[in-house]
Amino acid sequence: MAGGGGLLSFNTGFAIWVAISMVIFLFIMYKFALPPIMKALDDRETNIRESLEAAEKALAKAEEVSKNNEAVLREAEVKAQQIRKDAVKDAEVLRADRIEKTRLEVEKLLLDARATIEQEKKQALAELRKEVTTLAIEASTKILKENMDTEKNQKLINTFVDDLSKN
Amino acid sequence: MALKISRTLLIISFLLAVLSPLSIFAADATESEGGSIDILGKTADHDYFDTAFGKIYLPRIYVINGDISFFSSTKKALASGEFIQTEEGLVRADGEGIDLDLSITSHLVYVWLGILFALLFTMWAASRYKKGIGSQTAPKGAIQNIFEILYLFVRDQIVFEYIPREKAGKYIPFLFSVFMAIAMMNMLGLLPWGASATADLTVTATLALITFIVTQVSGTKDHWQHVFNFPGVPLLVKFILTPVEILGLLTKPFALAIRLFANMLSGKIMIICILGLIFIFTDLFGPSVGVGTSIFWVGLTSVLYGLKVFVALLQAYIFTLLSAVFIGMAAEEHHHDDHHHSDLELLSNTQQSNNH
Repeated sequence: MAGGGGLLSFNTGFAIWVAISMVIFLFIMYKFALPPIMKALDDRETNIRESLEAAEKALAKAEEVSKNNEAVLREAEVKAQQIRKDAVKDAEVLRADRIEKTRLEVEKLLLDARATIEQEKKQALAELRKEVTTLAIEASTKILKENMDTEKNQKLINTFVDDLSKN
Repeated sequence: MALKISRTLLIISFLLAVLSPLSIFAADATESEGGSIDILGKTADHDYFDTAFGKIYLPRIYVINGDISFFSSTKKALASGEFIQTEEGLVRADGEGIDLDLSITSHLVYVWLGILFALLFTMWAASRYKKGIGSQTAPKGAIQNIFEILYLFVRDQIVFEYIPREKAGKYIPFLFSVFMAIAMMNMLGLLPWGASATADLTVTATLALITFIVTQVSGTKDHWQHVFNFPGVPLLVKFILTPVEILGLLTKPFALAIRLFANMLSGKIMIICILGLIFIFTDLFGPSVGVGTSIFWVGLTSVLYGLKVFVALLQAYIFTLLSAVFIGMAAEEHHHDDHHHSDLELLSNTQQSNNH
């Protein structure tokens, strides 16, 4: 067996070579070869883990938002219904109000009209009385020119005038 | 944990038990035919490097009395007249001993090649990751994916599994490097003219020694306390226990070295022996039987080759796994108010992991 040892022998010189080689090998692996790989894989794993966590968080948030949206929507619906009801009620009130006002106005107009008519009537009566009085005076003057002194006539005139004023 | 390992060992011992009678028979038969095939020579270390195109002779380096003598090959060393060839290799012509034989041998070249391939593979992958392929995006291409599978396997299934998590980070490079180097060395033995450096006891012993040193350096106070002053036992028992514990420290790397060495060596011997059966049958029953049965032997060899590919990775895995287990045991911080309690916990843990 030229060189090296037998099957089960331990060759010190060879072992020294192997030890030196292994130490250099391990040193290069430790210092240069493996750190970038370890870092890259750790980074990648951290990245993936963080991404998953972020996605989960985003999903939870979206769920919450959608739940919120639903609540808001329901609230808005309720509010809309309320507003509609209010509007109907307002309209009812307004209508009643308007009707009441119109009624009052009409009544007032009616009253006014009546008052005016009354006044016109009074005025007309007054005018009529005046006219009648004038006429009566004129007539009486004419009669008087005939028989002024007649007591009976005087009495007649007075009665006539009284009757007029009563009417 | 322990059961997992023992299961693996069971499979291997089963394979060995099934296959070893064949190999013994074959080895005996070959030797009885005059040793026309030198089985052990094929597995031994050489002063030349076999390639597909011929032998490359490697330099011989000797340290004698503090001086280093360098010869570019064995022939040159012999020609210098200082050495003579004997059964045990080269010895000095004047009969004195050689202090240190630092010769470059074929197995050393395979160690270097294995290391080099592991290094190139890892450096290549590192350059890819640095460029952002695999870090920002998914890894691209089969080779990078294979690398990542191996790396993540070592990291997640070996390091994180057996070494306390807070300490695991600094052991990833060591264990991954050992895994890659051993796997590459193992697989170089699959080349027709190649050899597994790990089929050499010197190499596996050195690797085991490195693991041993790393294990002891990472040992915690608890680890040493368990060795020299086992808690919870009477003083007299400690006198017995401490030597046993020290022995336990040493048997661990020993087991590592022998296991890897024996497994890698047996594969090589098996293939040579089974192919050798063709020639044995030719000698025993004539050329026609030899050629006729060769289909069977070659088929069996192909199956064995497939097995060797598997074993090459399996043994690298087992060496790394056991290294991680030993380091993990030494680096663990025990919290033992009651020691027996923690033993029970350990037992239930192993049962749980076995159930998975």
